[in-house]
Amino acid sequence: MTATDTATVYESAVTQVGGQVEAFLGHGLLIFFAANAPGELHDISVLHQASIAEDGPRPGDTIHVGDTSLEVLAVGDVVRDNLINLGHLDLKADGRTEPKLPGDVSVRVGDLPLLNVGDTFKITRPADQTKEQKT
Amino acid sequence: MSDYKSVQVSKGRGGWGGPLTITPSTDRPLIASITGGGIHPVAQKIADMTGGEAFDGFSSSAPFDKIAVAVIDCGGTARVGVYPMKKVKTVDVHATSPAGPLAQFITEDLFVSGVKPEDVQEA
Repeated sequence: MTATDTATVYESAVTQVGGQVEAFLGHGLLIFFAANAPGELHDISVLHQASIAEDGPRPGDTIHVGDTSLEVLAVGDVVRDNLINLGHLDLKADGRTEPKLPGDVSVRVGDLPLLNVGDTFKITRPADQTKEQKT
Repeated sequence: MSDYKSVQVSKGRGGWGGPLTITPSTDRPLIASITGGGIHPVAQKIADMTGGEAFDGFSSSAPFDKIAVAVIDCGGTARVGVYPMKKVKTVDVHATSPAGPLAQFITEDLFVSGVKPEDVQEA
């Protein structure tokens, strides 16, 4: 199997980047919401419009934000519902392998990118793991 | 019509904060459900008991300053802080505690969590 042998379970295009997003990057935090989120959430959020919304992330998946690829280390209990229903995801560069909060998606400690309008937000899964989705 | 009633919303199992007394008013009539899957049962119950107007924050937009209470299904980081930061009473149906970059704004007089419909009572 090659590195390109993956399936995309979520894909979206950035439509707006809120004024507080850059400040939150300093906390190792990147917050996403669907473009139809209420206005009071726009400041803190990267807004986006999904074209593929089949599943939320699982540990071992890769989240692509702009040109940066991040391995998913941990996923909280409410992440999938948040993402599928609201386009919402809290990406945290905290290096945890157990999520601290139920909405957290943890990736390695390090910088998260400041996204721009038109950038892609995508989740890919190794192709050999896409068949075992029974819950 | 301005014949609104009050309810008391208490924390549920594992929850934090509150209890909050929610009383809609002519200026703030809206029970905002900032949740997935339409109007959450907790928001609907608060609306039914108070005479407030439930609305789905993701399918319709309403002036933010008309919100009496925001019902959220937040996993602990974003929505738990945004509404208290703006001094809007906030009910999280998940059992979260203050956390995230906005944790300083999450106080017991503005926030209650782990709430189920049975935690909404006549005040």
